Amino acid sequence: MICQVKKYFDKLTTDGSAEPSHVAVVARDDEILSTGAEDFVSLATKILKQLNVVALVVAAPPFAFLEVLLQRMPPDSAEIIPLDTETRTFLHDIPVVRAEEFNSEDPSRLIALLGQRKGVLVEGVGIVATGTFTVEMAYINYSSVYHALYVKTLLDFLQQLAPNREELRTLTPLWNQLAANIPDRFSLAEQPLDTPDTILAAIDETGRKTVSLRLVDSFFGNISCRYDNALYISQTGASLDELAGCIDLVTDGNVSTAGITASSELVAHRAVYRQSDALTIVHGHPKLTVTLSLLCEEQGCRIEDCWKDCDRVRLLGGHPLVAGEVGAGGIARKVPPVIGRTGTAIVYGHGVFATGRSDFSDPLRTMIQLENFCRQEYLHRLNACLNSADRDFFATLIAS
Amino acid sequence: MTGWWGRLLAVDLTTGTASIETLPTEFLHAYLGGRGLGVRLFRDYHHLDPFSADIPLIFAVGPLCGTAAPTAARLSVVSRSPLTGTVYDCSAGGRFAWRLKAAGFDALRIVGQSRTPVALKITPQGGELLPAENSWGKSVSATVADFADNGSVAAIGPAGENRVLYANIMMGEGNAVGRGGLGAVMGAKQLKAVMVDGDLRMEVADKPRFDQARRDIMRLFRASPVIFGELGIAEYGTPALVDLMAQRRMAPTENFRKTFFSGSDKYSGPSIRKAYQPKKDGCFGCPIQCKKSTQSGEPLPEYETVSHFGALNRVDDLHAIVRANSLCNQMGMDTISAAVTLAAWGELRGDFLSAQDIGPLLKDIAHRRGDGDALAEGSARLTEAHGQAHLSMSVKGLELPAYDPRGAYGMALAYCTSNRGGCHLRAYPISHEILRKPVATDRFSLAGKARIIKIAEDTNATIDSLVACKFSFFGASLEEYSELLSATTAIDYSPQQLKEIGERIYLTERFYNQNNGFNAADDQLPDRFFEQPGTSGGGIEVPPIDRSRFDEELSKYYRMRGLSDQGVFTDDGFLERQP
Repeated sequence: MICQVKKYFDKLTTDGSAEPSHVAVVARDDEILSTGAEDFVSLATKILKQLNVVALVVAAPPFAFLEVLLQRMPPDSAEIIPLDTETRTFLHDIPVVRAEEFNSEDPSRLIALLGQRKGVLVEGVGIVATGTFTVEMAYINYSSVYHALYVKTLLDFLQQLAPNREELRTLTPLWNQLAANIPDRFSLAEQPLDTPDTILAAIDETGRKTVSLRLVDSFFGNISCRYDNALYISQTGASLDELAGCIDLVTDGNVSTAGITASSELVAHRAVYRQSDALTIVHGHPKLTVTLSLLCEEQGCRIEDCWKDCDRVRLLGGHPLVAGEVGAGGIARKVPPVIGRTGTAIVYGHGVFATGRSDFSDPLRTMIQLENFCRQEYLHRLNACLNSADRDFFATLIAS
Repeated sequence: MTGWWGRLLAVDLTTGTASIETLPTEFLHAYLGGRGLGVRLFRDYHHLDPFSADIPLIFAVGPLCGTAAPTAARLSVVSRSPLTGTVYDCSAGGRFAWRLKAAGFDALRIVGQSRTPVALKITPQGGELLPAENSWGKSVSATVADFADNGSVAAIGPAGENRVLYANIMMGEGNAVGRGGLGAVMGAKQLKAVMVDGDLRMEVADKPRFDQARRDIMRLFRASPVIFGELGIAEYGTPALVDLMAQRRMAPTENFRKTFFSGSDKYSGPSIRKAYQPKKDGCFGCPIQCKKSTQSGEPLPEYETVSHFGALNRVDDLHAIVRANSLCNQMGMDTISAAVTLAAWGELRGDFLSAQDIGPLLKDIAHRRGDGDALAEGSARLTEAHGQAHLSMSVKGLELPAYDPRGAYGMALAYCTSNRGGCHLRAYPISHEILRKPVATDRFSLAGKARIIKIAEDTNATIDSLVACKFSFFGASLEEYSELLSATTAIDYSPQQLKEIGERIYLTERFYNQNNGFNAADDQLPDRFFEQPGTSGGGIEVPPIDRSRFDEELSKYYRMRGLSDQGVFTDDGFLERQP
């Protein structure tokens, strides 16, 4: 188990979701196993001894955006409810522990909240996430909470209140990250996708590339390739950067059910293949695309449950954007009819489905270009929200 | 109080009396219902012989039963197993549980022994015994038909009457209180059937909160490929696992001598669909409807049943397997234990039964005729009587289900630590080792498995006490179900608190078993799994399990449970400290 602790500590310190010096991963086998920042390890150990779970991640996200988010919340807010699909489907809400409620020597309030939810935002600490069964689960829950809070913070700047000068200054590293494009020139092995071996290798390579480019966080997304009267697709819950051995062959006509472990988006992938000439599909959750997908400017709309009830097709970056819930009945119904327009479709609060006709390079490049567009569009929109003095200030921050 | 009525119906078959008792609120809050409540109510009786007159047979529903909570129209039946000697519970669906709750009872406790066969009729006013001589000897469906005018029926068949050690109590809709032989306990009491009717409505305390939690759960069901995926159990039932187990090389074959059967595609989910065009069926109010039945309503077999009457006995005749399933249902007999006992018999004889021979022998078992009498004792006693105890593929005398432990090491460990013997459902590691829910674990590794099994056992003890279906947890978690429970009862339960309740229930069961002589020596897999490899192929190696590594993880498990190296409590006062 110590290998798992070290593995996910390494992931957290390199995937950009945490400040490398403010990470701890702690697990309980028949003894406590840990690595990371000493004060976080100490806190996690106290918590772990009182919870019936296997692992904890305690980490501070980069860019200090959580501090900004917390300062903007009413002091008596007990939880945050982001609008993204991760929250809606899996997290429900993210409880908050304020600095005055938190005592690292006696974290009883935090323990009580972790007994109810997968992750908690702790002022002055960061995100604390549990893994009921595995260390990976704690990492996944941390990633989900981080993703949800990141999206919410950026969305609030556009929808609620534009950042003030101090907030702009604090978040300078974030603006600079957004101002820089993800490189859309990359190399994937060039070989025809016409044998199981080349397909499996290509799916594996593509998954790793999406993560190494920091287009998505490692847990989120799925990839498939059509092959004769079947398709290869990544398994449910498989990390995109660890797909080797986690790819199912699913035959047309369901002559076998061995693909029961395939991604929950299998139905959507199959429907896309039925309705288009796509050979490959890459699905991921790039954060800025997700953020802007939630920015609906429809006036006078009476729909309250957008994920479920919105049938409108909007456009983002020239690609169709639809709403739909994960798995059976939602995305599978909404995405296939629209994806043929550009070969790409965006799902409200969720992510992107991009198709390719001959390889994985095209859909991967499309996703990158869309995310880059959304980064620039976000900065443009943010700039438009600022007063003229702050705009100049903002321009200098980005230039610096 | 919402969620519970606080009422127990106490029936004494010796005196022929029934009375209504008030359940202590403390029990309900601390043990919830179902398995937990049943186990608590069993405290003063756990040392009794399973066939003694005084031993209670307890039926208990949970606080979510009677509400719109998904998959919660279930109950647990608790007593001591004549097959294993352990405390025993089994969860079952159908309509009976919902009716029992609608009759205004959280639990039913039946003690005593009738002189003549009787049936128990339950209404909100109480219980009444009816003569059942005319039904004695009849099949389950005939018995259900005899008493159907009195509401939902739970009945035994000839196997229960004849004390087959793995006899079931069968719900009228075909659901089974299976595995450990509680049908034989009922038969020993000369109780042929229980009927229940009622129309009381259980309210929830906070409807908006309840509805929100329900929506959250349904969303998670839809996001789960195992539940509502195109290849999932809502479409194909549990036989959806046949192809997967074959692909993973862990389908027990020829009495667990092999782990791959080339004929398994003959009885896979798609093959059953093609042969029977089944309709969706299931427990009352369940949105999943994982049960499949023929167009005429005959229940079709579950995964464990098709695999064990199939691969384990080297049979690839789907129709013969379906007939074997129907026969077991009609006789009121557990399909897993029956099939494993037949396979052990086949290995003892040096030849497995033909598909045609299985049906007649199943009938002989149910009636304890000829060779069937010895087979009615289960595989452990059968093989021991022939001096070949190592051929029984069981733990604590309970036959192993259709997941070969060499293909999933957490499953191997969980078979051993299960309080009711070789059962896959106590910790259900197949969920993460094979189905990747809630997260995937390495099936060929024991690293961290002791802690995972311990937590899962606690969690599942809670689920069995709510009482919810474990299939729900291929999508949802205690996070959402604790919301349902809190909304129903107006008492705030967190997932952590629920796991603590589950731990109390698990340890209580283990303490009962210890009092009845169980210790680490009983937490053992058959030697075969440590000595012989499975059937490697398709790029998958299936070696024997490393015994020293396995023992190391089992020792860790004992430490995590606060037990000694011998798997026993170091504190005799454990039980007195529990509510």
